[in-house]
Amino acid sequence: MMDKATYESLLSGILLKAEKLGFDESQASYFSGISMEVSVLNGEVNSFERSSEQGIRFKGKKNGQMASSVTNVYTDEAIDYMLNNVSESCDILDDEDEDFIYCDPDNKELYCSQITNAFDKNTYSRFESIALKLEKDILASDPAIKAVDYLSISCDRAMNRKINSKGLQAYTDSDFVSVYAGARAEKDGQVKTSGYYWYGNDIDKFDSDDFVKVFKKRIMDKFGGTSVASGKYDIILGNEAVVAFFSTFMSNFSSYSMQKGLSLLAGKEGEVIASDTLNIKEIPLYEKALKKVPFDSEGVATTEKYIIEKGKFNTAFYNLKTANKAGIKSTGNGFGSMSFSNLMIEPGEKSFDELCMTIGNGLYITDLAGLHAGVNTISGDYSIFCEGFKIRDGKVAGAVEQITISDNFYDSIKKISDVGNDMYSEPGGAGEFFAPSMIIKDIKVAGEAVE
Amino acid sequence: MLNDSNIARIIDAAMSKTADFAEVFIEESRSSSVSMLNGRVIKAGSGVASGVGIRLMAGTNVVYVYSNDFDADGLIKLAGEAADALKGNSRGEIKELESRCFRTASDINIDPMTVRKTDNVAFLKQASDHALSFDPLITQAAASFTNNMRTIRVVNSEGINRESSDTRMRFSVEVIATKGNEKQTGRIAPGTLRGYEFVNEYPIIEKTTQCCETALRMINAGYAPSGKMPVVLGNGFGGVIFHEACGHSLEATAVGIKSSCFTDMLGKKIASDKVTAYDNAKIKGEWGSYEIDDEDGISSNLLLIENGILKNYMVDKLGSRRMNCESTGCGRRQDYSYAPTSRMSNTYIDKGEDDPKDIISDTEYGLYCSQMGGGSVDTTTGEFNFAVNEGYMIRNGKICEPVRGATLIGKGSEVLLNIDRVGNDLELSAGMCGSISGGIPVTVGQPTIRLSSILVGGREEGEV
Repeated sequence: MMDKATYESLLSGILLKAEKLGFDESQASYFSGISMEVSVLNGEVNSFERSSEQGIRFKGKKNGQMASSVTNVYTDEAIDYMLNNVSESCDILDDEDEDFIYCDPDNKELYCSQITNAFDKNTYSRFESIALKLEKDILASDPAIKAVDYLSISCDRAMNRKINSKGLQAYTDSDFVSVYAGARAEKDGQVKTSGYYWYGNDIDKFDSDDFVKVFKKRIMDKFGGTSVASGKYDIILGNEAVVAFFSTFMSNFSSYSMQKGLSLLAGKEGEVIASDTLNIKEIPLYEKALKKVPFDSEGVATTEKYIIEKGKFNTAFYNLKTANKAGIKSTGNGFGSMSFSNLMIEPGEKSFDELCMTIGNGLYITDLAGLHAGVNTISGDYSIFCEGFKIRDGKVAGAVEQITISDNFYDSIKKISDVGNDMYSEPGGAGEFFAPSMIIKDIKVAGEAVE
Repeated sequence: MLNDSNIARIIDAAMSKTADFAEVFIEESRSSSVSMLNGRVIKAGSGVASGVGIRLMAGTNVVYVYSNDFDADGLIKLAGEAADALKGNSRGEIKELESRCFRTASDINIDPMTVRKTDNVAFLKQASDHALSFDPLITQAAASFTNNMRTIRVVNSEGINRESSDTRMRFSVEVIATKGNEKQTGRIAPGTLRGYEFVNEYPIIEKTTQCCETALRMINAGYAPSGKMPVVLGNGFGGVIFHEACGHSLEATAVGIKSSCFTDMLGKKIASDKVTAYDNAKIKGEWGSYEIDDEDGISSNLLLIENGILKNYMVDKLGSRRMNCESTGCGRRQDYSYAPTSRMSNTYIDKGEDDPKDIISDTEYGLYCSQMGGGSVDTTTGEFNFAVNEGYMIRNGKICEPVRGATLIGKGSEVLLNIDRVGNDLELSAGMCGSISGGIPVTVGQPTIRLSSILVGGREEGEV
């Protein structure tokens, strides 16, 4: 890995070269990362991975066109090759929308360091002992759990240093640690699988007992499942499924998709598009978020804002390029492709049990599979393979499997009748996505009636 | 880059403790791409990426370390640390290095890496212009072109010293039809290991026309019905069903730890008599082909299923240790940042005897899926799902109205037994497959086949 003095001088050298090569504006960044992963199988460590990677990314603007390239070779020749490639790319581009290299003159230095000493706890021996104990505890939690086919603990640390010809001086770094387990259980000739995930930035905060308790319930509750007769059902979309579902359609909220006619939300800003129970808010500095995100990858300050407020579509996500086209200011959502910092579907008043009471009879959908395939993100049509439970008389009853739910995203968000207060989060966008369970009325379910 | 003496020092450091095997994987790839939207080039780029992966094994325990910093001393230190972390019982021997062997699966007359980007742009523009003038309902046309030359070198403690270089090229055209609030797409995305002559010979206008026709038919389509029914799957990308429902469960990644629903089934009947299937990495010039895998295996044409009987699993080096059998040369990975594992190449159901027209005319009621989308599978339970991009109802042996929004779901072990007709029109189709060793190029394929019964998840009531 390069030391600070080396990469600083490399970056400033690249900007000088870029100017000589005729770039009107340019930006260079150095990024590096280290990672470690320990996996166990059948009582021993079966895989250990470690990595260190670094690279230089260059973005240059010439004749109004912008292109970029990456290299992990730092010789003069390699840097020249990269710059020439970018120059050549600019020559063949004919994008009608102008892109920008940016620096807020009042805020040239952007600094956000979130690494902590807790990262030093991430040692091989620590991960090994946690992983082996976890595997043992999961297997011991129920005799039907036959194998933990996948169990890994991993961590990574990433840093990014960026400067540009407009005077930007930006620096970010962050830590991440996660635990994932996937197991197989067998009972009465049926096989069920389930996975569960924990993440944070301090391995001391991982509660193994709690993880095992939740894990056991997730897998064992799946037994005895049946399909249900095809028809229309009121469903509770479980909080994890809510995150997966909304993440799939989030690209429609990108101003790029809207401007290019790839989102049906084009021209709908300011209009009611969803039930008034739905509030989606971006909170870049959310106190419960693992990573605070004060600025985006383009060096624009992020802002707290409602994307959907009481069903009204307030604003799309904009970066410098799309904001310029729309004649507004960037909303600070330029994260590579357009994305969000920390996003939250705001909780309602009701607990999960109260949602069940409200729905009375219906389905509780916990897992959605094949979201990359079973949806038409543009039209919003979806038909998704899923699992879950029946809800009978206001209570979660037996498991349901081998069904699909089908509807249209834009219709479904109008049919949200209640939002719970059982928040769940997972990494998403440039930060995390937080969401509760919700009731969606009148969803088409395909299944097979079992007498 | 690393010279032979530094590679030998890395292997020495890796084998200094309890490893019985060590491997150095060196990769360099050069790529170039352009993307077009509505006739304008909106993205162009090229890049060089390189890195080193070092893998150590002791029995079935694995340590994998990687870096994109080629500093030899740093890599020797990393290999030493990996040796410290590996749990094994005894130290293995290091064999003398064979002389270097080079192979390629590419079949090239005109090297795509030498073609100017402006030529690629002109090629895409033909498709884009044709689509945008095809029908007023076609409102957008996106097109992209990428080529990539990947050179790998595998050196290991068993004396293996192999190098391989393949140039892959892929382009795509996606058109969007708009009617009110509805948008539907038609798409092609061929990929090849052949040279630029593939592009020159490709009937781009004809294929773009087909994309436009698909999008226009689907924009006017009603929703697919729900329920169990006979389903006829068109040839080519319809093979994604076999890839998902069966292929993944035949990989040593799942079979080697006995988590697959096809574990211990060799020699047993897992599919209907009409099904014979292969994983053939040796088809010259095909998108999913390779001569040397990403560890030390030479690729093979592997018979998976013969007349319904399971004949072989796809086994990589680690899998061969777990399963006590030979590797079939299928250890693949996206790049040096992944340890290799058993993966598919060109995987297809072989052609049968039925005329596809007869398969349709012998079906009274059901769904005809002429274009499939992607899908996913749980290799343990065998449960899969995949999307239908272009579907039609079959009534009284005739293809009738188009339907959209359908998903097929089922269990791999059941669906293979339900294949009751296999056509004679085998076709392969390029795709990307994601798994624990990353995204890799594969082809799927099949002739037209019929499933006697499968659950269709749609939005309308079915007719019984």
